[in-house]
Amino acid sequence: MKFRDLLGMSISSLWRRKLRTILTILGVVIGTASIVVMISLGLGLDKAQMAQIEQYGGLTTINVRGNEGGSSGYYMGGGVSVAVEDVGSSDSSEPTRLDDAAIEVLSQIENVESVAPMLQTYVIGRQGIYEGQFNLIGTTVEALENMHLELTEGSSLPTSETELKILYGNTVVSDNFYNSRNNEYYWENGNMPDVDLVNDPLFLIFDSDAYWNSKWGGTDENGNPYKAPKKYVVESCGVMAGGPEDYSSSSYNAYCNVEALKVQLKKIFKGRVIPGQPQTKAGKPYKEIYYNQAEVKVTDMKYMEEVQEIIRGMGYYADSNIEWITQMRESSRSVQAALGGIGAVSLFVAAIGIANTMMMSIYERTKEIGVIKVLGCELPNIRNMFLAEAAFIGLIGGAIGLVLSYIISAVINMVTKGMMYETGVSYIPVWLTLTALLFAMIVGMVSGLFPALRAMRLSPLAAIRNE
Amino acid sequence: MAQERKAVIQAKNLYKIYSVGESKVRALNGVNLTIYKGEFCSIVGTSGSGKSTMLNMLAGLEKPTKGEVIIGGEHLEKMNENQLVRFRREHVGFIFQSFNLLGTLDARENVALPLTFRGMPKKERLAKADAMLNLVGLPKHKDHRPNEMSGGQQQRVGVARALVVDPEIIFADEPTGNLDSNTSAEVMGLMKKIVREQNQTLVMVTHDNHLAGFADRIFHIIDGKIVKIEDNTGKRGDEDL
Ligand SMILES: Nc1ncnc2c1ncn2[C@@H]1O[C@H](COP(=O)(O)OP(=O)(O)OP(=O)(O)O)[C@@H](O)[C@H]1O
Ligand SMILES: [Mg+2]
Repeated sequence: MKFRDLLGMSISSLWRRKLRTILTILGVVIGTASIVVMISLGLGLDKAQMAQIEQYGGLTTINVRGNEGGSSGYYMGGGVSVAVEDVGSSDSSEPTRLDDAAIEVLSQIENVESVAPMLQTYVIGRQGIYEGQFNLIGTTVEALENMHLELTEGSSLPTSETELKILYGNTVVSDNFYNSRNNEYYWENGNMPDVDLVNDPLFLIFDSDAYWNSKWGGTDENGNPYKAPKKYVVESCGVMAGGPEDYSSSSYNAYCNVEALKVQLKKIFKGRVIPGQPQTKAGKPYKEIYYNQAEVKVTDMKYMEEVQEIIRGMGYYADSNIEWITQMRESSRSVQAALGGIGAVSLFVAAIGIANTMMMSIYERTKEIGVIKVLGCELPNIRNMFLAEAAFIGLIGGAIGLVLSYIISAVINMVTKGMMYETGVSYIPVWLTLTALLFAMIVGMVSGLFPALRAMRLSPLAAIRNE
Repeated sequence: MAQERKAVIQAKNLYKIYSVGESKVRALNGVNLTIYKGEFCSIVGTSGSGKSTMLNMLAGLEKPTKGEVIIGGEHLEKMNENQLVRFRREHVGFIFQSFNLLGTLDARENVALPLTFRGMPKKERLAKADAMLNLVGLPKHKDHRPNEMSGGQQQRVGVARALVVDPEIIFADEPTGNLDSNTSAEVMGLMKKIVREQNQTLVMVTHDNHLAGFADRIFHIIDGKIVKIEDNTGKRGDEDL
């Protein structure tokens, strides 16, 4: 028997019982739509999370910090030193510090794309009556390029390794500057500090300890009043694009060339310990300036944990988003499973509907099945005829269900627009469409299998017996 | 003359015993028969005597409890269901008492149905069905569905369907059981005519002695046993050919 004839017979027998076929298909439509919509909600959640992660510095960056023996060597400028609790490794052994040699070693690790050293210091900026303390981060031009920062027109990256030039984030002023008369910030009163980072000179104070000490009029151990530190006029090379409230992970920082920053710091602190830098037991500075941290960019997300382990093995502190992401994905997966489960229940009900319809159809057609058996229709053909009918119900129901899902998904996204995520709450990727279609068809066939086998085994005698 | 004829159907020591609860019903109780090629045989007997059981056994629709059925040299009792279906498709045509046409198909499609199972292309099988319907005298009813035809017309379609595959043997279980006597005679005449022309073998069950009289040989069956074989060939000669 030709496959085309077989399909033809299946379709015509479905067509014969239009109402029942339509009702059965309706069950599959609802089942498919609910499963697809539920999964699309889970996927939308996933996608929104990924977008969020991307915003917070990507999925392939590991932050590496030195280890001062027992505590994290994450020094913050301005005399504020935060000791992070021991993470459990290497207590008070040889401290590991990030210098140029260490950066080279890190960049040799397999699957590491690039390593960006970060030298970070807190500086105080002054312009007119406005004053603000912010993070100045020295790094390589390459690292800045990798950050894909959007700059305003006329801005450029700080390429010079000798002359210090600063690239400001777009929320540096709104976040960090305050009016020195009333000590109010933008986020307190909504008055934008009148600071022009590009055109007007900004005075920078690198030795913020000295600045505060002199400001509050304290004296040093010898009883002499603190001297006010020197102010430097530092040129800016640009500002990032964005309004005063467009926050991102880089918007509230200022960036500069790491080599130029080293030169500048050495010049300013000549022979003294630079705030945030380690010192010898005698309280003297080391010859070299150590980096506060290094950003290791891994070639692919799948190597993250591996590379992170290697770096930890070298005695550094290494952390990344990967653990957080893994955890977040796990929880979103369980949400997806729960949502999918709800959808699956309705598809299961639809499957029972298909089986029931097929069973009914076989009882009605007992005689007909017997006749075609007597007329020489082979047993597998009989089975396939019924399987094809069930598959058709699944396929058509699945297809209509998908159309319905797209409509529901669009409506959900329209209603919730801007409420939660930019990316939309419901998201139906192509693979879900295809899988759902295939799945609906398979569900149809599986639920039609038992009735089909039953039809195949019916005795041909049923045809001859007269009721 | 008997020696020249070729046996197509042979039953040897055939038993069919149904168990209903405790008791056993001997539907066939040791049947031996031989049917020759080109012969028209009828099986007659009272209701419940085992006629249908015997026909089903000969057509391979039911397995005998004991004994052999040999058709064209092949043992039906040894075949599995798949082989039996294939065997029927290649060698056997069937005419039912209640016509058993498919209600959704028109006359032409009904006749073409057995050809569909043989995998014949649509055009070819419909052409063949057309020719067959002309032969049974229904040139004007090809597009009619079964419920748009009289009983006699439906049975003509049934005959056409059985004959369209050019089977060597045609089995018919009370083919005129649902028809009045005039129509019965017409259908009988038609069957006999076509079968004669094609030199096909026809085995027909009936409880009507008059209709049985159309046959070359008549097997009388009582309580699952053949009690008498009537030979008409000599008596009637070739007068109705
Ligand atoms: N499936 C079955 N189970 C039990 N007994 C059966 C079965 N089929 C037939 N019989 C019995 O076998 C016997 C012969 O039945 P069969 O159908 O061959 O009779 P028949 O000669 O065709 O009668 P009719 O002229 O009424 O059609 C009957 O006694 C019947 O009760
Ligand atoms: Mg009978």
